[in-house]
Amino acid sequence: MAIWFYAPFFIVGLYSFDMININRQIVFTPSLVHYSRVLSWTGAMGIFLRSLYFAGVTVLLCLLIGYPVAYYISFKIKKYKDLFIILFIIPFWVSFLLRTYAMMSILDERSFLNTLLTSLGLIDSPIKIMYTDAAVILVMVYDYLVMMVLPLYANLEKLDKTLLEAASTLGAGPVRTFLKVTLPLSMPGILAGFLLVFIPTVGEFVIPELVGGPNNYMVGNLIYEFFMGARHWWIGSALSMLFIAFILSLVIAYVRKIGERGLAF
Amino acid sequence: MVDRRDVLKIMVSGVLGLAIGGVGGYISRQSEVESLKKEVEALSKEIKLEKVELEPNLYIYNWTYYINRNIVDWWARENGVSIVYDTFESLDEVVAKLQTGTSGYDLAVVSDSPLQELANLGVLEPIDLKKIPNFKYVPERFKNPYYDPGNKYSVIYSYGTTGLGWNSQEVSPEVTAWADVFEVDRHLEKYKGKITMHTDTIETFGAALIYLGRDPTSTKDEDLREAVELLKKQKPYLAGYASTEEYMAGLEAGRFLISHAYNGDIAGIIYASDEREITITKNLEYISYTVPEEGALAWADNFVIPKGAKNIEAAHAFINFILDPVISAICTITVKYPFPTGKDYVPEELRNDPVIFTPDELLDKLYWTRPFTPEERAKRAEYWLELMAA
Amino acid sequence: MKGTTPFLKIFTILVFLFLYSPIIVMVVFSFNESKSIGVFTNFSFRWYEKVINNPEVWKALFNSFWVGAVVTIVSLVLGLMMAMAVTRYSFSGKSILESLILIPVIIPEIAEALSLLIMYIFLNIPLGPVTVIIGHIAFDVSFVTIVMRARMAGYDKSIEEAARTLGANEFQTFFRITLPTLYPAILAAGLLAFTLSFDDLIKTLFTTGPGFKTLPLIVWSSAARGGVSPELNSLSSFALSISFLFAVFRLRAERRLER
Repeated sequence: MAIWFYAPFFIVGLYSFDMININRQIVFTPSLVHYSRVLSWTGAMGIFLRSLYFAGVTVLLCLLIGYPVAYYISFKIKKYKDLFIILFIIPFWVSFLLRTYAMMSILDERSFLNTLLTSLGLIDSPIKIMYTDAAVILVMVYDYLVMMVLPLYANLEKLDKTLLEAASTLGAGPVRTFLKVTLPLSMPGILAGFLLVFIPTVGEFVIPELVGGPNNYMVGNLIYEFFMGARHWWIGSALSMLFIAFILSLVIAYVRKIGERGLAF
Repeated sequence: MVDRRDVLKIMVSGVLGLAIGGVGGYISRQSEVESLKKEVEALSKEIKLEKVELEPNLYIYNWTYYINRNIVDWWARENGVSIVYDTFESLDEVVAKLQTGTSGYDLAVVSDSPLQELANLGVLEPIDLKKIPNFKYVPERFKNPYYDPGNKYSVIYSYGTTGLGWNSQEVSPEVTAWADVFEVDRHLEKYKGKITMHTDTIETFGAALIYLGRDPTSTKDEDLREAVELLKKQKPYLAGYASTEEYMAGLEAGRFLISHAYNGDIAGIIYASDEREITITKNLEYISYTVPEEGALAWADNFVIPKGAKNIEAAHAFINFILDPVISAICTITVKYPFPTGKDYVPEELRNDPVIFTPDELLDKLYWTRPFTPEERAKRAEYWLELMAA
Repeated sequence: MKGTTPFLKIFTILVFLFLYSPIIVMVVFSFNESKSIGVFTNFSFRWYEKVINNPEVWKALFNSFWVGAVVTIVSLVLGLMMAMAVTRYSFSGKSILESLILIPVIIPEIAEALSLLIMYIFLNIPLGPVTVIIGHIAFDVSFVTIVMRARMAGYDKSIEEAARTLGANEFQTFFRITLPTLYPAILAAGLLAFTLSFDDLIKTLFTTGPGFKTLPLIVWSSAARGGVSPELNSLSSFALSISFLFAVFRLRAERRLER
């Protein structure tokens, strides 16, 4: 039964191996022409690397922003800890599209934020961030921050706090304790967060479309262009299959490292 | 001068496909347009039309902001047809849906080049011109077009050019040629970050190839190589590759000063356009539109009936309705794209505005696109992605 | 790290501000009387009136609800079956099935959506509500299975065995014992499936047919067309309140689970 759900990927697979002709008939002459063609494009590689870069910067920012928050809630808050974490999650239970739109309403040149800052004299002219790469990254951070904080928080919560006390009793300073004990122990949380932020952002399509500028072309746009713009389903399929394979290999590498339990989000 | 009442009667009779005498344009001032609009509404309630029995549901798929929706609602009400009116924002969407052959739409509007691809795929129903008496009002140049000999599958909807829209308050000297946006020492450097090219690859490659003196529909490697090198050099100076909605908003807000654009969109900024309100007062007079002197791509949008359409009768009746000169005129006044059958009936200032109605002698000199095979499209997309990656 | 605590506190507060301010600004400006999205002039329901009087919005809301309901029910039934299969029985290819379940969760949505579209075209299936629902189910089942499987791992089978020893048949055991015990997990998974379907944009965008729009499609087309506008602010705030309602439901369901 489960197999039925993979029919779309099966058909895309057939297209990618040139096993469906233009009249939508299945032909049994598999070929790798479309793969070799796609892999020969230097431009596609550039776009792929750009997507990796965008997703990488987003992950890094999510980590830099999310770690202190997860750390603070986990270690410093005694009362109402649940409330804090719930307050953190609630914005992320609101539809992804609405969050993106809410962010657009702040970043817009005519927005309240810009009007406020200009009238306070903090800036001379409105911040022009809409339709730039920075806007894409900012919105991605906003939309996916929770994916970093939650696994980190879960991880820090489980962390044996007596170890930290032991470290400081043995004379390690706070910085040393953090670097030598807390950080290494929270590695699984960081890795899980990395995966959960990286996967959706590397294939992001909506955000660059809504807030991006001329250099926002990412893998999602590339796949779209070949399916919908060029309507060359064979190449589009080969691109999709390669991208799916890339993501799968990331997940497999992760599972190898952490074990399958790491996938029970 | 014919009485306004008569116009209304003519308009109403247009629904029945009755003959219309050759009369000039009489809707001239905004106040008249307003009162006309009210009278249309009042009359549409009073007058009982002699109707042809039509099946109850009609599914239409068209560009956004490309028709007068009140007129559509009125026709639907009068004929007892319930219209589902969906819109798209890029040709990709409509072509992807129509090429399934099971799109579920009864009527769609498609441009010349994809129209041929769809016809070749066999996903269009033939059109019966006998059921469209108003076809006789279509000017000769839009009958029997190169992309659909004998009007087998299509009837003209609107037409125009893709050139340069620009802000004449800010930009000087005036924009006259593609060279202005491709040569660094002309406008490119001066208005860096305020110029956009089109998101549609056919348009942007077309513009580059025309500037280079090549065939704008070329898929030869040497031509595309040269075009993509030119576009790569241009790219750092651009604000981006913008779609209709983006460049219209950008030009209006002054964020963009020169945009590669469809003529009707620019007319829509100059006069303000809507899909319900009729306006003919000028909104932003300082926005201009130029067909570059090297030439430009011309295009034509057409009614087609997708394969699998369930209400072919009503689709024909609707086409006939829109082709009615007065209805066409109202659509032109509303959206500022030219509906060819209504040219004689629109107010003079719109009729004589070359931004809306591209002059015939100019139209003859421009380039037209052609259908591309999947392989040719893929080849162009490869060069496009090289540009996007740059 | 005593010295760093105030810093952490301020930082956390700033992050919370970052999270909430866009949403708050959007909601506040949805009540703005003027067309401006930068200056608040007067309180008004003007834009809400426009939204509420738009039949398209209500139709889309209705569509979103019934699609969500169908998707939730079917995904729950299928997901429960799959989760039970993988947690209770061992069969050949089980580990393959387990990893297959994960695939839809991790694949970029644009690739999923276009794959669905290609399949429908290949099989000549007319696009419409049915194709949207099939698309949602195909991917939501995976989420449901994962949630259920996690919850079932700690499930005490001895109660079922006891029931069976007392003479209950498989059927009775399932409805009397298994289902009530798993109720919180089912509720949580169901709400997740509903939210996923209710919020879905990309798959719906590519697989929908004539005249069939959901709420996210309406928000998307106006955001892509005109960017930020007061009318869209109020439409979004309206949709937000629905999302928020479900967030509260989910919160309560999760709470029950923890007990």
